[in-house]
Amino acid sequence: MVASGPGAAPLENANPLIYRRSGERPVTAREEDDELPDAIDDREIFDLIRSINDPEHPLTLEELNVVEQMRVKVDDAQSTVSVEFTPTIPHCSMATLIGLSIKVKLLRSLPERFKLDVHITPGTHASEHAVNKQLADKERVAAALENSHLLEVVNQCLSARS
Amino acid sequence: MPEALSLLCRVSAHPESRCWALAWSPSGALLASCGGDRAVRVWGREGSGWACRAVLADGHQRTVRRVAWSPCGQFLASASFDGTTCVWRRHEHGFEVVATLEGHENEVKSVAWAPSGSLLATCSRDKSVWVWEVDEEEQEFECVSVLSAHSQDVKHVVWHPSQELLASASYDDTVRLYREDEDDWVCCATLEGHTSTVWAVAWERSGQRLVSCSDDRTLRVWQRSEGHGGGSEHSWQCVCTLSGYHGRSIYDVAWCHLDGRGGHGVRRRRRAVFEEVSPVSPGSPVTFGLAAHVPRAHAQDANGVAWHPREPGLLASCGDDGDIAFWQYQRPEGL
Amino acid sequence: MAARFSGVLQLTDLDDFIAPSQECIKPVKVDKKPGKAAAKIRIEADGSYFQVNQDGEAQKLEKAKITLNDCLACSGCITSAESVLVSQQSHGELCKVLALNKAAAAHEQKLVVVSVSPQSRASLAARCKLGLLETAQKLSTFLKGLGVHHVFDTTFSRNFSLLESQQEFVRRFQRQAEDKQALPMLASACPGWICYAEKTHGSFIIPHISTTKSPQQVMGSLVKGYFAEQQHLPPDRIYHVTVMPCYDKKLEASRPDFFNQEYQTRDVDCVITTGEVLKLLEQEGVSLSDVDPSPLDTMLGRAAEELSSHRGGGSGGFLEHIFIHAARELFGVHGASIHYRPLKNKDFQEVTLERDGQVLLHFALAYGFRNIQNLVQKLKRGKCPYHYVEVMACPSGCLNGGGQIKLEGESSKEELQQVERLYESLRAESPEENQAVRELYEHWLGGWGSERALQVLHTQYHAVERASSALSIKW
Repeated sequence: MVASGPGAAPLENANPLIYRRSGERPVTAREEDDELPDAIDDREIFDLIRSINDPEHPLTLEELNVVEQMRVKVDDAQSTVSVEFTPTIPHCSMATLIGLSIKVKLLRSLPERFKLDVHITPGTHASEHAVNKQLADKERVAAALENSHLLEVVNQCLSARS
Repeated sequence: MPEALSLLCRVSAHPESRCWALAWSPSGALLASCGGDRAVRVWGREGSGWACRAVLADGHQRTVRRVAWSPCGQFLASASFDGTTCVWRRHEHGFEVVATLEGHENEVKSVAWAPSGSLLATCSRDKSVWVWEVDEEEQEFECVSVLSAHSQDVKHVVWHPSQELLASASYDDTVRLYREDEDDWVCCATLEGHTSTVWAVAWERSGQRLVSCSDDRTLRVWQRSEGHGGGSEHSWQCVCTLSGYHGRSIYDVAWCHLDGRGGHGVRRRRRAVFEEVSPVSPGSPVTFGLAAHVPRAHAQDANGVAWHPREPGLLASCGDDGDIAFWQYQRPEGL
Repeated sequence: MAARFSGVLQLTDLDDFIAPSQECIKPVKVDKKPGKAAAKIRIEADGSYFQVNQDGEAQKLEKAKITLNDCLACSGCITSAESVLVSQQSHGELCKVLALNKAAAAHEQKLVVVSVSPQSRASLAARCKLGLLETAQKLSTFLKGLGVHHVFDTTFSRNFSLLESQQEFVRRFQRQAEDKQALPMLASACPGWICYAEKTHGSFIIPHISTTKSPQQVMGSLVKGYFAEQQHLPPDRIYHVTVMPCYDKKLEASRPDFFNQEYQTRDVDCVITTGEVLKLLEQEGVSLSDVDPSPLDTMLGRAAEELSSHRGGGSGGFLEHIFIHAARELFGVHGASIHYRPLKNKDFQEVTLERDGQVLLHFALAYGFRNIQNLVQKLKRGKCPYHYVEVMACPSGCLNGGGQIKLEGESSKEELQQVERLYESLRAESPEENQAVRELYEHWLGGWGSERALQVLHTQYHAVERASSALSIKW
């Protein structure tokens, strides 16, 4: 929660549609068996990102339907993860920040072998190409994360809600 | 094919961080590296391996993105995300900062020394390319031009090997060339063709050709054509596009400046890329064949690659794993 | 879209790469209609936004409007200020105002005043292949045909800028021992430079910048102050337009410092560039050479027989006037000769006054971003040897401003030389000798160096704080 509260800037999308959270992920029998290696699956990735907080609303990305499990693709063998996210409004200026938060969460959580692609769901944002290009630029991302102010906001998005 | 490129040694150069770029000193005696740990390290041979000779840690507040040696080998310039460029002088016991160049609005992405040693170029996310004049006696650097030809973040600058002709690569998908015009600098050519960020450019030794590498996963070779385009402006054409060799973004490219074989002056060129290091040899003047390919040269992205200036076939590469890897290239039979 | 601001502004705070709609991070108040929430927003092919509610009804959304003042007060991008300018200060806006004015009831009509800069006049003259006097006279006829009532020349207001700069310099020179920031004094006439200094170097550079208003803004004070009084009109009944060689002047006119709170009016309501005057001519299908000349207006009501200018080049001659004045006032040297020594390039030159091998005055002109950059860095390192620097954002100065007309089929260098030759063809007048200026100082401002003169002819600068909200950081 950064931009709300009395006297602060009005929210861009003051009345977003709120979605129900999904249930806990069922644990399979194979996973319970410590002898067998577990491949990382879509649901595990989704679990990592669904609780990320929206920079503006006191809601998670899952509650805002910004991330959905069906838009997460993992190929454990190829070490690739692809996530599409859907901004609540097409001109949302927070889109790059949301994308950055998702990217950072995954960078911090996944083994280094994974290549991450974080994209906007096609057709849902006015500056889709520009945002995607910026998120894919690892140099820009690295520089952004050295900016303490920006990092602070990202960390707020990633912190557990009190 | 993989035997064409064999690993000589690997050092953990910027542990717990990424290594962004490498630069051989003009004599080849030293290799400078820089990275996310805000430091520049200088490496020298020790036995069959490489050892750290100096750590230049107090110049920058943020990531050091590129390093460049002056042609005389006495100065090292480092470009940082902190918006500054430091110039270090080498003395008996190490290196000291002799100048800090300020002016860029934000991250400086690359720095390059002109072959004469009297000019320096820098570029930044602020979309500009700056040319600085070096006053070696006074240790003063004056800005002689600010070039705003690119519409986006400028990723890399590199000088022609013998002339005062500068090339820059950008997030705007183009490569631009600049030359001096009366008392200022002008953009004299725009190389369009890549479909995404151009990460780096490298000149062939003669300066007649350029190679660029891009986020579009291709390499493009550009040839200077005389007489076309009229007047003194040269025109550049893309004569070859190498695609299908890399599955992800290609962050750096280097063109070997040592001639391979005798009379023909066959040019060899290698590239280092995403988890791959793969040299390419020209089959005919405008086609290149892949000469070697190392699929997992680095545990993570490969960021930089540099041919040794004197020893044929010696190649260094660095990556997000913080390592520097040294390779020996053997031309495969038949190439 | 090719940006048209001076290079200095294009380089400032430009870490934007997203399209303009994404760029602006200024919070805007949106009137939300109460009732059903939750809607989807759809973008049409033409870029307009439609809100679709749960019943499937579509409603077109209004675009948020950002004013130029919002842009200026913000440390974010400068580039989106351009599209704001197009809607608020342009020849189109002028036409709209003129049309409304013609249709308005007599007591609501505004008196329209246009003040033309000498640099714009020279550019127009070169384009139309006319003399300067002819150009001024014909332009006056043309503008009056559109509904303009008075056409003035900002050379007149420049007299005040020059005189005030001269005096300010002498005052600063005399207090240099006790005030480390008194010198060097840096010129204030170029709004591109001012904007860059405020946004990038803030409190460090600002004390060095001359507080004297630029000729455009002095003209604003004259028109909305003195002239309004003479016409028995409140300032908001006058619509004041200037014609300038430079886009950055639009930013200057929009500064809050030049806004009259009491009457809710700006000293300069609208700035159009030389190029926009040409567009107006084309739009009206008028060729300036076919227009009959009309006598020139002056502020004191007497007809002007001829045009005059000031010595010292196309950027206003600040360096030369201050130099000569300071040599006389501070060192008793009358008629000091001025010899420019080019340094690194033609846009960085210096002038000295020496006596017995000792340098008494050390002045420089620094035009264009690269020279501004070296100047600022020298200043930061305490290595700036100058007492005064005439700083201009454009290479070659104001005659080469971004708003000037680009001649067809001629190389830019020849073009500029032609404009320079024309500009310099006028008789140079000394501001001290202008009778009308003296009268105004005496009767309107309460004498030389009076409190009122200080208040009317000087301004202040404000360091722009870096964006504090992390949500607005561009990376």
